[in-house]
Formats: sequence, structure tokens, C-alpha cells
Amino acid sequence: MVNERFLQACAEIVGAAGLVRDPADVLTYECDALAHLRVTPAAVLLPASAEAVQALVRLCVREHVAFVARGHGTGLSGGATPVEGGIVISLARLNRVLDIDLPNRRVTVEPCVTNLEITRRVAPHGCYYAPDPSSQQACSIGGNIAENSGGAHCLKYGFTVHHVLEADIVLPTGELVTIGGPVADRPGPDLLGLVVGSEGTLGIVTRAVVRILRKPESVRTLLAAFDTIDAAGQAVSDVIAAGIVPAAVEMMDRLAVRAAEAAVHPGFPATEAVLIVELDGVRQEVDDLFAVVEATCRRCGATEVRLARDDDERARIWKGRKAAFAAMGRVSPNYYVQDGVVPRMRLPEVLARIKDLERRSGLAIGNVFHAGDGNLHPLICYDARVPGETERAADVAAEILSYCIDAGGSITGEHGVGADKRCSMSKMFSPDDLAAMVTMRDALDPGGLCNPGKIFPTPRLCGEVPGPYRAHPLEQAGVAERF
Amino acid sequence: MDLRAPDAAAPARPGGPADAIDDIVPAHVVTPASDRALADLLAEAARAGQRTVIRGGGTKIGWGRRPDGVDLVVATAALNRVVAHRYGDLIAIVEAGARLVDVNAELAAHGQWLPIDSPFADATIGGILATNDCGPLRHRFGTPRDQLIGITLATTNGRVVKAGGEVVKNVAGFDLGKLVTGSHGTLAAITSATFKLAPRLMSSQTVRIRCVDGPQAASFIAMVGASQWEPTSVDVHAESHQLWVDLLLRFASTPDAVAAQVRDVVALFGRTASAAVDVLDGEAETALWRAQVGSVWASQDVVVRCGWLPASSDSVFSALREIESVDGVRATLAGRAGVGTGHIRLSGEPQSQLRAIERLRAGRPRIDHVVILRATPMIKQQIDVWGSLGDAGIAMQSLKRAFDPAGIMNAGRGPL
Repeated sequence: MVNERFLQACAEIVGAAGLVRDPADVLTYECDALAHLRVTPAAVLLPASAEAVQALVRLCVREHVAFVARGHGTGLSGGATPVEGGIVISLARLNRVLDIDLPNRRVTVEPCVTNLEITRRVAPHGCYYAPDPSSQQACSIGGNIAENSGGAHCLKYGFTVHHVLEADIVLPTGELVTIGGPVADRPGPDLLGLVVGSEGTLGIVTRAVVRILRKPESVRTLLAAFDTIDAAGQAVSDVIAAGIVPAAVEMMDRLAVRAAEAAVHPGFPATEAVLIVELDGVRQEVDDLFAVVEATCRRCGATEVRLARDDDERARIWKGRKAAFAAMGRVSPNYYVQDGVVPRMRLPEVLARIKDLERRSGLAIGNVFHAGDGNLHPLICYDARVPGETERAADVAAEILSYCIDAGGSITGEHGVGADKRCSMSKMFSPDDLAAMVTMRDALDPGGLCNPGKIFPTPRLCGEVPGPYRAHPLEQAGVAERF
Repeated sequence: MDLRAPDAAAPARPGGPADAIDDIVPAHVVTPASDRALADLLAEAARAGQRTVIRGGGTKIGWGRRPDGVDLVVATAALNRVVAHRYGDLIAIVEAGARLVDVNAELAAHGQWLPIDSPFADATIGGILATNDCGPLRHRFGTPRDQLIGITLATTNGRVVKAGGEVVKNVAGFDLGKLVTGSHGTLAAITSATFKLAPRLMSSQTVRIRCVDGPQAASFIAMVGASQWEPTSVDVHAESHQLWVDLLLRFASTPDAVAAQVRDVVALFGRTASAAVDVLDGEAETALWRAQVGSVWASQDVVVRCGWLPASSDSVFSALREIESVDGVRATLAGRAGVGTGHIRLSGEPQSQLRAIERLRAGRPRIDHVVILRATPMIKQQIDVWGSLGDAGIAMQSLKRAFDPAGIMNAGRGPL
């Protein structure tokens, strides 16, 4: 347990300046970007080396103290929410870019280098780091690895798991090991692939080697306005049926557009659905396929199609899109961002159910989503000053998740399960599925000390009986061929 | 143990010479009819401590250490359906025993495919995932691991468990699918997998550049890497007794975009008078790539897989020449130059082949993790096929004990 002797031992590892225990200072760490969930940690430690992280973990194992790793605290699912009586290990001091290897296209970083910093460092050489979560200016690579972060361009370029090659990790039992490798095809199971996206429950990454890409020769972006979400959705389907995998396909509904307009004035048309499609690649390919995308939008009834003529216009479109979440504050005193996924072809029916829910609940719901991969981000507007409305918003958010599960989707596309959605896990996975995952966690963390209470439902929190499990709904797949 | 699972597609039968793994004939072969039956069978095998090998098409069954004995071979042949092809969502759910070629024939009905190339016509989805084996297409599409979005496993505690899902974007729960790729059947049996798909290639051409020597090839590979071309494959073919190295650049896109890139490539490399450049399409192109992935497997010689940093390809070319001149072994490399991995066939006397393998393994750090894929039992008894798992081995072993406490899965053969 955390007592004076324990804190003294911590201070010997991280130095007096690396130990935060003043209640006022500790408050900074009591939540991540899931701000309604707050737990005050017993102390916060700021190690400045992998060895110090290892020493802290070993100390925690010896003293049976729970620990939670923290990057820049931008996570949206409470993955870095502290544990009562436990410590927070902040990686903030491990923030150096250690090596840039251009010939091999690899960059070695410490965990609290920000996502965008990698691109900033290699951009002069015509390269970039592909995963681009909306928080990329602030979020850390360590956090990206924990959450397997994606971004607007993951339809074509994949997620963090496709771009991290090697990591040093302090295992929950205190060993500091290297997983993966800068060279492809190491023998053995893909431990790195398991660790990426494990939400900080399988260890603490202290160093990572990531892959960088050459910037594409050409990038073209269009914005199309539609009278209905269905028409915009049809355009997306037709683009994909034409054999085109866009770099990004984003959709915003009227409320989301209004909010973005109020906040950053991107000049979006006031319409029911705005579709943003971006293609990148070699110039000739982009030109060939862009013509198809434009024609498809018009054929599907676009009332207006705007082609970004230069980087400035393209940047303005993205500014409007990326500002959509924060912009909700302009049209509603409070809002709740949900993150769920549905198979793309089921989008129209799920959006119709959300529309109906909006009517029934009396709460406005804005929709911003990655239309290419069915990742929904409903923004549920509410006023916390109105008694009962906060709870109603949470209920609405939970109900939307159930629609996603009904449609054969997922309870989270990119924000993670964390502390926020652990009770929904049993709606998506069977007890056997969860037991296999928990067995694995227990194998690596026998003491149950490494970010405990995250991802997996516990009877105490979620009730003894897990929610209704539904088999993967093959029978509901109206658009699928059956064999 | 009772192997007469009631719904087994075929009853347990004694193993025969055709079932041999290396020179070991398994005691029994069973072909379960469902994932449930497979899980029951594994639970039974675990209780009885039966050393168990999962077999798909059998094309890579010899990969791994030589076993002391095999009690049970579990064939996935009856789990061979494409369960669903949701072309609008660009995903497919396929059972482990389905052959890749059959899966792709079905997906082609809607202009899609699983962009994985295997040198083996009978390779199944389960075997491809368990080994993460793939070919030149990985330059653009990644390995099978990268295309996997969901998995169903049968475990030795008799459970059928799922992880991942049926949507491309999903971060709920642990990604067991990633963990079992490359596990060589040591953790659990794969019963079905869900993949994201790709549209079939619109048009394709390949530029073959015959580089005068390894250093020239290495410099050309670097030039390709520094360019903004977007090749689908960047491969090399080299023979230890020849000075030249063939660099194969495949471009697949719209016809005009293919033509534009091929024109630029030919203009750049054609200017180097010493390098011969030709362009292939249609059947000639198909034949070239078939030969490229098949070349190292053509005889019964030793085949190893090794990895290297992409900028170190010249180290690999010079290692080939050293193997020829010092060890007296003829070496053929078919490699993915952009990624830095490839297969090397070693032809010669067994003792010379052993020396050649050791020479490659001594090439670290520039040549990393040399894994023996095919070798005679005699060679496999003298040198470990896997090499070191590094310090992450301790974590892998913990997971192995959790998944397979009885230690039956690919016992004595796999990397764990």
C-alpha cells in the first residue's frame, strides 16, 4: 500500500521533483479527457527513464500497489483514470525523439512524443506518420499505442497497430523487454499486436519504433452537399463499389455543420448532409479516380460539389470537420460524444433509429462520422443545469451503442473501452470470449496491478448477470450473400 | 482417449505415411465438422496429454522442429466455407480450412479479393494466418495479420472464443487475432477469420530491371523508396552464382496511372546503360510473379526466411555470394526489398547447408532472425529452426501456459 515508506522509495527512483503528492497538484491527474470520471490517485510519479519506470513497477509489485500509466491525458474512454489508492505513472518526461532513420523509414521515440511531432520532424524530408487522430497535436504515441488510435485516414492507411514496429515495454511483472522489431517477420506470436490496443493493461511502453511513409504525390479533396443523409450514403456506397478506397470519407449532418460553422466558419453549405471525400496517391491515379467520385456525387443527387483548389481550401474543409466535436459547445451547453461502429451498409437504418431516438428523448443529436468505415460519433446535446438531463444523455448514448451491437458493429471504433464502456463488453462478447481475454491479462499481470478495472466488466460494477449476448448477426445481413 | 466425436465429418483414423510430419507418423487423424467439435476434441486431447498438430492444406506442415512424436493431427478440411461476403462493407468471413484460391474465386464475383499471395495452391486461411506467410503483395497490402479484423478460435479448455469483430474499425477487447498470427498453432486452433478486403486490381504492369550487381540493386531500391511512386510490389530475385540482381517493380492502378509510373521508371533506370529494363503485362506478368514466389520452393532443398532492414539489402546479396564461394552452396533469394524480408533456398550437401545457415545467422544485426522453414529431419536435429525469440520470450511463454497449460499444441515443434 501507499505509505510514507513507499513514497520515500518512489522518490529515490524518480527524485524529489518527480514525485507529485500535493493534493492540489495531484488533482491535475484525476481524470483524462473523459472528465466526468474522476479518481484521486495516492501519488503521481514522473520517471525520466525506462529503468525508472521499471523500478517503479517492481516497487508496485512488491508492495501490491496498483499503477496506471498516463501519457498526455487526451483519451476519451477513461483509460488513464487513476485507481483508488494507486499511483499514476506519468510518462511526460519521456518525450524525446531518439532516432530518425530516413533510409529505413523508421523513427524511434519515447512514449510522450506527440503524434504530430513525428510528422513535424520528418516533413522536411517529404515523409509523415500516417495515423492522425483528431487530437494529434496533443496526444502521445504511448497513448496511441495503448488505444490503437486511428484517425480520419485509417480507411486506407490503417491504425497505430499497422505503423508500430517495435516497442520496449515494462511488463506488469516488472521485466523490461523488447517486443516486435525494426526488421519484419520475427518468429513467434505477434505480442506487439496484442499489446497495441490493450489500453495500458499489459504493461507500460517506454520506447517505440514507428514506420513513416513518403508523402503522396497528390492529394485531392471534395465536399458535396446532399438533401438527405441517405443520398450521401448512397454516394459512398457507389464510390466503394467502383473499386475506390478513398484516403478519407467523412460525413456531417445539419447540426454538426451548424456547430462547425459557428466555431470556425469553414463555409460549409447549410444542408442535411455534408460529405467530404479525399483521395491521395500518384497524381494520375488521383485525377482518374477523383473524376469518378465527383460524377458519383452528382449522380447521387449532390446539390453542390466543391473541389478544394489548393492546400488552403483543403485545410479549411478539414478544419471544419475536425472542429466539429469541440464546436458542439457553440450550440449546446453540454454534449456527450459517443463512439460506435456499424457495418457501413447498415448506416442508413442505424441513423434512422438515432433520428427516432432524438425525437423520443427530446435531446438534439448531431452526427459526425467516418462514413467509409461506419464509425459513428453521435454528439448528444444536453443541459446539465436541467435536472435529470445529464442522466438522460447517458441513457441515449448507451442506447445508441445497443443499435451498433444490433447491427453487428462494435461498441468502440477508436476511443477504447477503458473505464467508460466496460459494462457494454458483455453485450458484444460472450462470457467465453471475455474469459479468454481475461486469462491472457492474468497471465501477464498475475497481481492485477496494471491499470486494473479497465476494459473488462466486473460483477461489482456491472451486476452479476452480463447483458444479453447476441451472436454475430449473419442472418440480419441483408446485403450479404449467403453461402 | 475417445476420438469418436459424434459430429466429426470423418471418424478418427490411424495416421499413415501421407500424414507424416518430418519422418514422424501421427497416431490419429481427425477431421471435426464444426468449431464446437474441434474445441471438444482439443479439450479431450488436453486432458489426455495428446501432442496435437492442426493441419490445413498441409502445404507448410513440415515447418517447425522435428517432433519426438505426434499423437493427433486435427484437420480443418471440413471447415471450408466462405461464411459471408459482405461486399458493400468490403469484408468476408471465412472458415480456417478454406483454400485461399477458392476464397478469392468466390470474392471475385463482386470484384473483390483478399490480397495475399501464397506459393502453395492448397494453402488454407488457417495455415496462412498461423504462419503469417505471404508474398510480394505485402508491400502494398501488408501481411495477413494486417488484413485480419476478427477471429474465432477453439481453445484447449474446450471453448470457442471470438475476438475482434466484423467491422474494419474496432478497438473493443484484446486482439487475439493478432496474437495467433505467426503462432504456428501453438496457442489455439483458428476456426474462422474475418478479413477486410480490397477491390481487385484495375490494371497492372511489372518493370523488371536487371541490375548489374548487388550494390546497384541496393541503390535502385533506395531510389524507389525515395520516390513518390506507389508500387504494389518491390521484389528482388538473386542467385548466388550470378552477379546480377533482378529488381521487380509491379504497378497496379488505373491504366493511365500504371502507364505513367512505368514510363517514369523505365526512363529513370533505362538511362543507366548497364541495367537492362523490360516491361511485362498480361500472361507474361502473371507467369513472372508465379515464378518469383515459387522459385525457392521448386526443389526439395532447404528454405530459410530472413529479415533485414530495407537499406541493408546489399548485405543480403553479398551473403549469398559468400555462401556460394565459401560454403559451396547455391543460394536463391526471392525477397521483398521494400519491406526487408525474403526466402532463401540453399542447395548443396547437408553439412554445407548447415554452414550456410550459420553464416546467415552470424550476419546480425544486418540480417536478422533466420528461420528455417524447410529442411530434412537430419538438419533440423542439428540446428534450431526458430532461433531466438528475444527477451519477449518470457511474456510469450506466459501466454502459452495460459492458453495451453497441458502443452499439447504443436508440442515440440512450434516457436513456443
